[in-house]
Amino acid sequence: MLAYIGRRALLAVFTVWAISMLAFAIIQLPPGDYVTSYIAQMASMGSVVTDEEAQNLRIQYGLGQPIYVQYWKWMKQIGDGNFGFSMEWRRPVTEVIGERLWLTVVVAVSALLLTWVLALPIGIYSAVRQYSIGDYTATFVGFIGLAVPNFLLALVLLYLGFTMFNAHIGGLFSPELQDAPWSWARVWDLLKHLPIPALILGLAGTAQQIRIMRANLLDELGKPYVVTARSKGLPETRVIVKYPVRMALNPFASTIGYTLPYIVSGSIIVSLVLGLPTVGPLLLRALISQDMFLAGTIVLLLGIMTVIGTLISDIVLVWIDPRIRLEDT
Amino acid sequence: MQTRTLRSKLTIGLTIAALIGFAVAAVAQNTGKSLIGKLEGPEVVTDAAKAPKTFKEAPQLAELVKQGKLPAVAERIGQDPLVIKPLNEVGRYGGTWRGGFTGPADFWNGFRCCQGPDHLMFWDYTGDRVMPNIAKGLEMQDGGRAWLVHLRRGMKWSDGKPFTADDFAFWFEDIYRNKDLVPTPSAQMAINGKQGVIEKVDTNTVRFKFPEPYFMLPDVLAGSTDLAGQGFAYRGMGGFAPAHYLKQFHPKYVGQAELDKKTKEAKFDSWVRMFLFKNDWALNPELPVLSPWKTATPINTPTWTLERNPYSVFVDTAGNQLPYIDRVVLTLAENLEVLNLRAIAGEYDFQQRHLDLGKLPVFLENQAKGNYKVYLDPGDYGGDMIIKFNLNYDADPEIAKWYNTADFRRALALGIDRDQINETFWLGTGTPSSVVPADNNKYNPGPQYRKMWATLDVKKANEMLDKIGLAKKDAEGYRLRSDGKGRLRIEIMTLGGQFVQFTQIAEMIREQWKKIGIDLVVQEVERSLALKRTAANEQQLGAWNNDGSEHLFTFPLHVFPFELAAVASSGPLYVKWFLSAGAQGKEPEPRMRELMDKWKKAFGVPEKERIQLGKDVWKIAAEEVYIIGVIGMGPASMGVRVVKNNMGNIPSRQYNSPDGKTPGISRPITFYWKN
Repeated sequence: MLAYIGRRALLAVFTVWAISMLAFAIIQLPPGDYVTSYIAQMASMGSVVTDEEAQNLRIQYGLGQPIYVQYWKWMKQIGDGNFGFSMEWRRPVTEVIGERLWLTVVVAVSALLLTWVLALPIGIYSAVRQYSIGDYTATFVGFIGLAVPNFLLALVLLYLGFTMFNAHIGGLFSPELQDAPWSWARVWDLLKHLPIPALILGLAGTAQQIRIMRANLLDELGKPYVVTARSKGLPETRVIVKYPVRMALNPFASTIGYTLPYIVSGSIIVSLVLGLPTVGPLLLRALISQDMFLAGTIVLLLGIMTVIGTLISDIVLVWIDPRIRLEDT
Repeated sequence: MQTRTLRSKLTIGLTIAALIGFAVAAVAQNTGKSLIGKLEGPEVVTDAAKAPKTFKEAPQLAELVKQGKLPAVAERIGQDPLVIKPLNEVGRYGGTWRGGFTGPADFWNGFRCCQGPDHLMFWDYTGDRVMPNIAKGLEMQDGGRAWLVHLRRGMKWSDGKPFTADDFAFWFEDIYRNKDLVPTPSAQMAINGKQGVIEKVDTNTVRFKFPEPYFMLPDVLAGSTDLAGQGFAYRGMGGFAPAHYLKQFHPKYVGQAELDKKTKEAKFDSWVRMFLFKNDWALNPELPVLSPWKTATPINTPTWTLERNPYSVFVDTAGNQLPYIDRVVLTLAENLEVLNLRAIAGEYDFQQRHLDLGKLPVFLENQAKGNYKVYLDPGDYGGDMIIKFNLNYDADPEIAKWYNTADFRRALALGIDRDQINETFWLGTGTPSSVVPADNNKYNPGPQYRKMWATLDVKKANEMLDKIGLAKKDAEGYRLRSDGKGRLRIEIMTLGGQFVQFTQIAEMIREQWKKIGIDLVVQEVERSLALKRTAANEQQLGAWNNDGSEHLFTFPLHVFPFELAAVASSGPLYVKWFLSAGAQGKEPEPRMRELMDKWKKAFGVPEKERIQLGKDVWKIAAEEVYIIGVIGMGPASMGVRVVKNNMGNIPSRQYNSPDGKTPGISRPITFYWKN
């Protein structure tokens, strides 16, 4: 077991390194660089940036060097815990991402928890009571949840929130607590703002998981071991929860890997619409303005999240499914 | 869901938004014009006899004076206050002004609202006359070759240190002339390509000296130029800088070794980056400023806060030190939709920047609920949307030939149904127009130029195109190329996500041009790509607006090919020719050359002659149609304004212009809370 985890962890480190190279290369792909987008910005405001000035800026930001040199410099800095300087925000990248990262994790984890809390019981219910009114309702709502683009839902909820409840528009904090230091009042304020984003982000996933749970459980329910358990006189709840549900859980565990980064990157549009101070909108903006180190760091973080997520799901799978354990050792 | 790309998600969203937009547009078409009020604003009192003799201050500053932490108000203001007569009445102190901004690139937001402005000279509220501002006055000498700038006696920086001629000398010698800080000298510090100098005369007098007469200098000091105060300090410009503060970051005063150590400690890549950071009005709260509000929490944080400068030199006619409002709090909006929705919800007190004309019906619907009023401030420039022909396009000789044929350009201009565009996208609030500025603009060449080649005349357009050699058409009715290589297909490049929906309007023009047999391809591109294409001379037609062109001489970039870094260009090779005074690039055709020569000449002649030259420039522009004007004098670019009902001294219409730093031209320091 330990050897298994160790091997996986080693692979993970290698993957992260590969991701860092890819991340850096991808950011260089679009035409131009930060200076180009800076010039465009200046131009739209009526200022002229001359060729010499642009050249000077490129030297100051080290943009003229070959890409591998820039990459090597960045790696060396990361070694010191310095992820570089954000050209657009003119602050160290770690400071810019700082609080946003934690808020992203808070939003992501609550969306994930909400997904499971809703999807598990509903999925079990619709499998056990297949073709009942409850099953049809869950299926109907589930497919709507899958089909509605979540940013649209976000827009509708924002508008309803404003017209019916006079809610503050967007964000995770009330204006007066926006910059306040952490306190119970601020945590409570965050909790009050959390349900809507968590619901919107979790909805599509919930619908999907309901369908998966239902299908898997239906496969298991007809199997002989369930019949045996039932014939031995086990109570119905125990029959279902103890054996087939445990089997049907596998997909839940194996999706942790990509659920984590999906909630971060897939939430970009929702975060934009809802004005959430998370990493998503920051990434989009960094990519547009070609703020290399900021974009690179976020892509790297996403990569690390995927890797960690996969690692977790590997471990969880081994834990809930003895068969995998046996195959591997 | 997961497989759907970001782009297609956005497209769906935009389509839905557009559909909703069209639905409500129909309702609001006729209400638009009624929201445009009378142009009005506060005035600068220049008569020293009318200036107040005693001064009052905000209660919290009075408290600090009592505690001995601040000098008395009269001492802080000095002997020559800058007196502003508020629009309606003398206001009262207190309160916060809430607004929105979109991130560190949005620094113009704060420059416009809260910088005072801190220009040496500035426009009156009509945007037409240049008035004394930070400078007490300008005095012309030596036939326009020298200008004396008189400073206000006893005026101070926000840290209480005196503001004197030394701050000009420091800027000129140690910032402007330092090749590391300012690699390219400013065109605005030069006349006919010859650089001027700035020298100290005495503590309160500065001289700008030029090798040739520079009659335009007062306008240049008033406009959004390189000599216009600390808003431009982030790139080493401005005309003056706080010497006493900045010397500690300059190699000449602390030595290179010491400075390198400081740079490293502060984690900057180079001393230049550190210096420009320290000199940045929006980023560095420590920077001594002259503006009435100063940055308290910088622009690269979620809330950009500005608070009153206790040493503000601005006072009202009753002697109250301005501003009235204590603090300006701009909150970060992750995107424009959120910003607009917050404005609709009444979460902003005064917001103009980033508001979308297309949402006008929703703004109006929520006026009572949000306790605000909607105003429209149409611009004075001729084009909320213009289409530039790239006269230097050379990738396809056939197309290049047509772009350089005046009648081709004119025919295309006649093929646009501007009324349809105005009703659909401007809700009827714009004016179908050529590129020339509003009728009351001093450089407007005359009423006949408004509609010159700017009406819908399909018959005439077809005749003109037939006549120049494009008479043959294919089965679908599109004109064929004269070189026999099939259909004449031209391209327009547009940018998405702007104040004006260029792509959608271009699509409408594409439909309209079918009637004159022209096949237009609309290409929406991302901003950096657009820039790269124009610089590489790959753009054919480009859509943009000509905001700023109402100030022809300080903001010429959308009048003729003036700068390389443009998202739509009339000719990158002409720009090179113009900027290098003929050494590089390509010599323009005679009429374009005439236009450029007249524009250049105007800087060195007295005002009367200059006005005639300005009119001539616009005449040529309208006659030759280097640029097609579509809709102008509309409120699409930052002309939709939402203001709380209980805010006082709010003009019913403002001069909307980047040069006027609107709303800066309405002097927000005189806005106040009635209750």
